[in-house]
Amino acid sequence: MNLNDLQLDALREMSNIGSGNAATALASMLGQSVDLHVPTALALELADAVDAVGNGEDTVSAVIIGVFGDLDATVLLLFEPESASTLCSLLGVEGDPEMELSALGEIGNILGSSYVQAMGTMTSLHMEPYPPVAVSDMLGAIVASVLAVTAADTDLALLLDSRMTVDGTACKFGFLFVPGGAGVALLLDRLGLGEAA
Amino acid sequence: MSELVVRMGEIAATQHAGDVLVGLGLGSCIGLVIVDDRGPVAAMAHVVLPESNGNGAAGKFADTAIPQLIREVTAIGATRSRLSAVLVGGAQMFAAAGKLDVGNRNEQAVREGLRAHGIPVRAAVTGGNSGRTMRVYLERRSITCKQAGLEEIEIATWGSQVQMARAA
Repeated sequence: MNLNDLQLDALREMSNIGSGNAATALASMLGQSVDLHVPTALALELADAVDAVGNGEDTVSAVIIGVFGDLDATVLLLFEPESASTLCSLLGVEGDPEMELSALGEIGNILGSSYVQAMGTMTSLHMEPYPPVAVSDMLGAIVASVLAVTAADTDLALLLDSRMTVDGTACKFGFLFVPGGAGVALLLDRLGLGEAA
Repeated sequence: MSELVVRMGEIAATQHAGDVLVGLGLGSCIGLVIVDDRGPVAAMAHVVLPESNGNGAAGKFADTAIPQLIREVTAIGATRSRLSAVLVGGAQMFAAAGKLDVGNRNEQAVREGLRAHGIPVRAAVTGGNSGRTMRVYLERRSITCKQAGLEEIEIATWGSQVQMARAA
């Protein structure tokens, strides 16, 4: 399946609304404003997908949230170690790696649920998040393992990438939405762009 | 020294002594390497899933990667009867994330495939919950594995002088 520019634009716009909702939720949790960068929608060959996200061997903290319902997808949050610590310290968690991962999982839960909720409302699709799983490991191993689940039917990886910064801090992180093969077609259909595929 | 990075679903084969085959950040994926027991010939596949459904790159699936690896190493001088395999990866990166446990299924499929093709497993570092990077150094015929934040460790060697002398 190939996606044209119009379809990618529509998916990016959808992602923008979802991540806007998520950023608002995070801001009210932290009591601090959160900047949302212009999201990107990337349709990539599977082999190129990890490099598009970052350096595969870098250690990152990640929160993975599976999404089920009308659509199978994964929400993936990626934090560089310093950003993870900064974000946790804003929540009063410092120095304990286990506690930090647990706090990141909570943040991921809020971000992921609000993103999925906005997307579900927009597309009239029923989507539910699984509980979050937080890990610290190589970026490549995390991203590839998420993509593997959706790779059975397609060599195309669709990444909807939003980046956020917590105002007044060096805390930046990536927020990826990875729909499964059938999910992409379903989303496009709901956005009124299914025919052009 | 040139590093040949084998990305998701790809296969690379080499007989050049200066080459290093690299599988970066293997999580649930498997870095599957086949070597000729006596010579500096090796190939790596970055296996993503257990079974092909008839589309996609050969290296992506365990069942299609194994015959393709055999074709590629024998095409550059390896002898079919002297092949052995080393595998790294197949971790369950996200414990409790249910259907995301592709790693274990990948390992089973790779091991079954190797058995069916009569290729012995020389070494394996698999399972667990951690990502790994695999490197194959043709020059010193050494295969290593590295986890995030840990040292690179040698997990296998092949084609040593001792073996070659005995064979002669």
